[in-house]
Amino acid sequence: MAYTFEGYLRKDGTVGTRNYIGVVSSVVCSSVIAKEISDRFPKAIPIVHANGCAQLGDDFQLTKNMLVGVASNPNLHSALLVGLGCETNQVSGLLHSIPKTKPVKGIGIQQMAGGENTVNRGVEIIGKWSNEVDEEKRERLPLSNLTVGIVTIDTDEDTLRKVTPVVGGLINLLIQNDATVVMGLSETLEPAGLLLAKRTNHEEVANRLRKLGEGVERKQWKEIKKEHSTVLGFTEEEKTFAILESELTGANPINSLLNYNEKPQSKGLHLSSATTNIVETFSTMASSGCNIVLVVSSRGILTGSIALPCMTISPESKSGAFDELTDYIITEESTDVQVEKLMNELIAISSGKQTSLEKFELGEFSIPHIGTTF
Amino acid sequence: MKTFEGYRRPNGSIGVRNHVIVINTVGELASFTKKMAQLVPGVIPVVHQSGEAQFKEDYEQTIRTLKGTAGHPNVSGALFLGMGEDKLAKEIEELLKDENHHIHVVYFNKDKPITEVLKEGKEWLEKAMERSKAETKVTADVTELIIGLECGGSDAWSGVTANPAIGACSDSIVRDGGTSILAETTEAIGAEHILAQRAVNPEVGKKLLRVVKEYENRIRATGEDIRSANPTPGNMAGGLTTLEEKSLGCIKKGGNSTLMEVIEYAKTPSEKGFIFMDTPGYDVESVAGLAAGGAQIVLFSTGKGSPTGSPIVPVIKIGTNQRLYEIMSEHIDVNAGKIIEGLNTIEEIGEEIYGKVMTTANGSITASEKHKNQEFAIWRLAETK
Repeated sequence: MAYTFEGYLRKDGTVGTRNYIGVVSSVVCSSVIAKEISDRFPKAIPIVHANGCAQLGDDFQLTKNMLVGVASNPNLHSALLVGLGCETNQVSGLLHSIPKTKPVKGIGIQQMAGGENTVNRGVEIIGKWSNEVDEEKRERLPLSNLTVGIVTIDTDEDTLRKVTPVVGGLINLLIQNDATVVMGLSETLEPAGLLLAKRTNHEEVANRLRKLGEGVERKQWKEIKKEHSTVLGFTEEEKTFAILESELTGANPINSLLNYNEKPQSKGLHLSSATTNIVETFSTMASSGCNIVLVVSSRGILTGSIALPCMTISPESKSGAFDELTDYIITEESTDVQVEKLMNELIAISSGKQTSLEKFELGEFSIPHIGTTF
Repeated sequence: MKTFEGYRRPNGSIGVRNHVIVINTVGELASFTKKMAQLVPGVIPVVHQSGEAQFKEDYEQTIRTLKGTAGHPNVSGALFLGMGEDKLAKEIEELLKDENHHIHVVYFNKDKPITEVLKEGKEWLEKAMERSKAETKVTADVTELIIGLECGGSDAWSGVTANPAIGACSDSIVRDGGTSILAETTEAIGAEHILAQRAVNPEVGKKLLRVVKEYENRIRATGEDIRSANPTPGNMAGGLTTLEEKSLGCIKKGGNSTLMEVIEYAKTPSEKGFIFMDTPGYDVESVAGLAAGGAQIVLFSTGKGSPTGSPIVPVIKIGTNQRLYEIMSEHIDVNAGKIIEGLNTIEEIGEEIYGKVMTTANGSITASEKHKNQEFAIWRLAETK
């Protein structure tokens, strides 16, 4: 049976599971104004962060790329960039880099002569877009239009043993249906590098995975001053755990290992760099084009992404403390039945059903640093 | 002696505001922190994404900054949101409780329903608000004030009007026995020898030169040139041509007083008088460091116009030119552009700023406070992972 969902088909062929207007600050200095504009409209989301100025080289480029990426995400109908004016990360540069496939505009506080004028101008622009958003309708589309991120946070062996057969089954089904799946390569998954390397036909990807599997190359502080770094090996326990985590993506072949905010170039399974900060991981997934995220955890999580629905999956807990923030709780039912249920939930959420985190308006955005600010 | 009415804290420090704040430890709790603040009117959220770090140095800097923020004299009470066995929250809680600060941590964990955590937090905040309202002001004098010095969105007038006027104010405060902290190491590059010559002794002078050199080396080690990020595009549009030129203007904020001490980011000075703190040129991170180090008020000059403030300290904006004051008066507290017009001397504007410092210390609201500009970020030293 061919699965379908209802999404927003964009001009560039990508599909949104949501229809937001993004209000993107180019720098921390314009974040309060960006939020003020966004708060006036139910369809608008504030994409604010602590970066944007006094950054150099790769660290600056990452900030810029992340914002270009998230503005291009299919869940955004349109994007308004709000700058200060004097920052390194200029709005004009962002406008130049964002593909012109959707309404995108930029304004700056200094150019508009103050916050009040900027808010007024922003409200004017978004007012127009809001009417367009209301007119857009979802269309029935095949699952091949989904790019599903998958992330683990605070998992333990027991959780993985319960969750893996069901989530692994879902991932298999998604890949059979030609969807794209991006698994966050977290610290806990890295020890399975040797095993993951066997699942790819690309020599370069295999080499990088093998290297990760040998031990996390945690740079030492002195290395910042170009001295040395050490490779710490993994314990057997870490390896066993990682192997279990790797089974969340079944036995599917790995097509690529993506850097922060790099877009997958084919359907099927990809791995992507993830940081220990869950908000940063969600944000890199948003900027690399994911339109929904699955989160596996032993406890449920307390925030999602501002731009992507985050569907949370946990095993049953005695206290049920986080149940109201969890979308799917693993039961005793057979794996096949649960895979089907999970798929139905994924389709419902992709078609507009609010996730638990969305209901509580728990969503953030943040950009990782790969160097110091100056 | 100039005096003001402030709030005396159990550790002896004196605050010019009486805030109740709520802070997250890890990034995952940022949304709940904002929600928690909304539950009790008047509570200020202090939100960041710095709880997870790869390096010990970043972790320590985060702890120091959060501790300095929660234990700040302008803060009457602080609630932390922690996650499970939150090492960061536990460490800060212990440090602050030892100093008799009014602080509490609520922990989210899988054995406790979220509604209960929210209830516990809300109840604590309600009591903290009541408690803060019952606190009365006492008279203190300028010797107990620490003023942070910052500039953002500089133009070619910064070093001619606003910064020298801030310098005149800083000299007066130091002369009266108070403390002022110059910051932004980036903008000491090229002017460090001038500051070093003013050091109280050779050790302090050497430390300043070392801090600036290490800063430059850290940048060079990444294969980058600081001069490609600074001056920024806006600085250049404002007429600044080189980093050295920007620096020479920047250090004018420090006046001509003797340099008593050079301190790390977010550290509290142990001396009174004129101090230098090692911070980045990134305004929001720099102001957060100055505040965490105990500055009760920050003076911030701007040529292009910047609205940013702080969740816990009043930031006084000094505009460098008449045009800025005309078009962006909503963000400016003092117009130093009058110096160019020949209406006032640098010394007179310095006095006006000093007057503004004292009225602000007595509770008058600054432009950034009025607009709820409560930006906060911790100086990041290296990768997140």
